[in-house]
Amino acid sequence: MKINAKFVNPFIDAGINVVKQIAGIDVRRGHLSYKGKPEPSYGVSIIIGVYGYLTGQVVYSMKTEVADKLVDKMLGGSKSPQERKILFVDTIGELANMITGNATGILSAKKDLELKITTPAIATGDNINISLVAQPTLVLGLYTQYGPIEISVALEEKDMLSEVGGMPGTLREV
Amino acid sequence: MGKKILIVDDATFMRTMVKDILVPKGYEIAGEATNGNEAMQKYEELKPDLVTMDITMKEKDGLEAARDILLKYPDARIIMVTALGQEKMLVDSIKLGVKDFVVKPFEPERIISAVEKALA
Repeated sequence: MKINAKFVNPFIDAGINVVKQIAGIDVRRGHLSYKGKPEPSYGVSIIIGVYGYLTGQVVYSMKTEVADKLVDKMLGGSKSPQERKILFVDTIGELANMITGNATGILSAKKDLELKITTPAIATGDNINISLVAQPTLVLGLYTQYGPIEISVALEEKDMLSEVGGMPGTLREV
Repeated sequence: MGKKILIVDDATFMRTMVKDILVPKGYEIAGEATNGNEAMQKYEELKPDLVTMDITMKEKDGLEAARDILLKYPDARIIMVTALGQEKMLVDSIKLGVKDFVVKPFEPERIISAVEKALA
């Protein structure tokens, strides 16, 4: 299985466009790095699984105060502090869902193959430890006026030719 | 009395957003559902004029739910409202018989236009 840097731009573009549209704030492209597994760096994490011709996980991570500001912008001024607290996890999860969904749209644009995503899993807290499967991970940084958003992309494309060639007559699920 | 809409999405944020856009336009929100199984139950109970349907949900996804509803109620009017803006999904949805495919995030005018056209 291979990781491919072509996964970078769809997530960067989707992240910038979605945050701009849904939260009304400008986002700029930040750093790009690599790590051995998609473990989050900050206190709010949203994990979304991807499956289809690409498999793996995308992990969004940001500081609590950044998430709070994004949720405030997304909900607008109509909710009470108590309502915002109740809706926090749901709203930040939906942001990650939209970015991932839009990115898969770009990734699937030239292919007649499908990508599906899981519903988001959200974890919050500065002292939590999330263990994820070791998988080569590209780490993309986005910068907002409130702070950074980290997108860890641990996706691999199945090498279909080598798999099919190895076992003639066997059907392989994509 | 306005046309009745069933909103299906696992995210409260999205259900609220769709509601906040459609209610001022005179539509009545007949009910809400958070997954595909609930969507079918609510459809049968409420017989809405239109359904807005997310795709990625637990238990049963929106495409399966749309397929099930349209199989039993071929005149059902369903609009997919999803973050998964993939051509294959759009084509598969249209083949099922849904009326429109709206990609999140969307401008209010997009969803209003989709609902108006589907109900025309």
